[in-house]
Amino acid sequence: MLISNLEVLPGQKIVRHLGLVQGSSVRSKHVGRDIMASLKNIFGGELQGYTELLQESREEATRRMQKQAQEIGANAVLNVRYSTSSIAAGAAEIFVYGSAVELEDHV
Amino acid sequence: MRYENRQAPEGINVTPVHPFKQFAQLLFAAALLVIILVVLLQFFGGWIGKRVPFQYEQALMEQVDISLGSESPPPEMVSYLNGLAQQLSAVMPLPKQMSVNVHYSKEDVFNAFATLGGNLLFYRGLLEQMPNENALAMVMAHEIAHILHRDPMVGLGGGVVSMVSLSMITGQAGFAGSILDKTGFVTGTQFTRHMENEADQAALAALARQYGHVNGADALFEVMRQHTGENKTPDWLERFAATHPLSEDRLDAVSRRAAESGWSLEGDLTPLPARFHDWLKQ
Amino acid sequence: MFEIISFVVLLGCGYLFGRRAEKKHINDIIEREKTFNSLPVIASRYPPENQYYQQQLVAGNVVVASDYFKSFTAGLINIFGGAVAPFEPLLDRGRREAVLRMKEEASKLNADLIFNIKLETTRIATGRTGAIEVLAYGTALIPGSKPAPSTAEAPRAM
Repeated sequence: MLISNLEVLPGQKIVRHLGLVQGSSVRSKHVGRDIMASLKNIFGGELQGYTELLQESREEATRRMQKQAQEIGANAVLNVRYSTSSIAAGAAEIFVYGSAVELEDHV
Repeated sequence: MRYENRQAPEGINVTPVHPFKQFAQLLFAAALLVIILVVLLQFFGGWIGKRVPFQYEQALMEQVDISLGSESPPPEMVSYLNGLAQQLSAVMPLPKQMSVNVHYSKEDVFNAFATLGGNLLFYRGLLEQMPNENALAMVMAHEIAHILHRDPMVGLGGGVVSMVSLSMITGQAGFAGSILDKTGFVTGTQFTRHMENEADQAALAALARQYGHVNGADALFEVMRQHTGENKTPDWLERFAATHPLSEDRLDAVSRRAAESGWSLEGDLTPLPARFHDWLKQ
Repeated sequence: MFEIISFVVLLGCGYLFGRRAEKKHINDIIEREKTFNSLPVIASRYPPENQYYQQQLVAGNVVVASDYFKSFTAGLINIFGGAVAPFEPLLDRGRREAVLRMKEEASKLNADLIFNIKLETTRIATGRTGAIEVLAYGTALIPGSKPAPSTAEAPRAM
């Protein structure tokens, strides 16, 4: 499955557009991480726990979007966009969406 | 080019869990976590608190300078209370390196408490209700027992440490935090009630040694029961979540302990000093 | 005792009513999605060029609230970490509802397609339970004939 934030793929022909596909994931870290992060916030710097959290969440959301695309018979998702929002204290949602397409001769 | 709208199947963006099952599991796990945490920290903090030398406690209290009933208390009252404290300390017995210092406050509060550095504070509101010296001695011995058991320090070490660390966790739980706080608080009360029971036991023993009988102790709890308006039978929840044992239970415990230790429940009551009620008015 | 009772009542209300409302909403969304299936929404900036379309910005938004039960469970999940499952259907519902409302607007304009859809999710604080707003917007393409070219050169943005 090709996932791209390009809208036109050079040298590849789009046979059909199959509509919008989306994936989302809401996750939180355990309190230990939250407490560490609040301590780290005093000194500044990277909050590794949260970097990891958002990374995992992004992967999960992408997997879900890919699953949707697969289920409707697409072989690529183009023009993909990510958005992140804080849903509740300590929990973040990652949302990804794109255009499911069928590419010619693409495996 | 063709444009279609194909519908993806349901449920891809939803984690398949049963909401109630998940809730029940999480609540159980969170409550267990809180209880274990509070118990561990109470023990750990209490263990450390008990090992802090009493002198440090006294030095600390001298530095913070909390005004314990400092607004010109009647000197006769203060010396009478301190005299009674000396007698009871001698029979407790309180170790030589420990000492108590009784303060008096004119405020109309039905309470007395022991705090760090062997400081006791008695409020006028409580003293007014004392029928005789034996009842007063029971309160006094109870508070001295707290000092003897290092309870203010244990409370500081165990109680404060566990509540602070608990709030770090429950603060993250948003909505569920208040319930978990209560769970932690109720767990903590098991420890404070244990302290109160131990203090009652030690106080009763001191009373028996001082006066030769424990008559008058029951009068104290009777006064307390009337004051708090405990006339109905408390339900199991109130009994379980209270910081202090209920007066009713303490009243029962007096006769039980007296029977166990062979202390007489009968005996001549020592009256309060003749001018006691004048001092209260000063 | 009173606190425990009110807590159980609130949780029960959140669970029963929240679940019922959610089921109803999802079934409603599924039905409406079927009716609007003929109006594709495409996340691409390049509209088809073989036909003339009038363009119009269309949008749909919705604010959905969490219930007591969901928020409570989410708080507990935050202690242990992991997927915050109670909020996922909430967001899914909000997103699909917003897209549907956008589609409703476009279908009133007799549009054939909606291009370059964008979605925004924002957390809105309402009391203790919280709510989210989802906004969906895109360009509706309405089939029509090209208006006769005017003689005067129209000012054009560079």
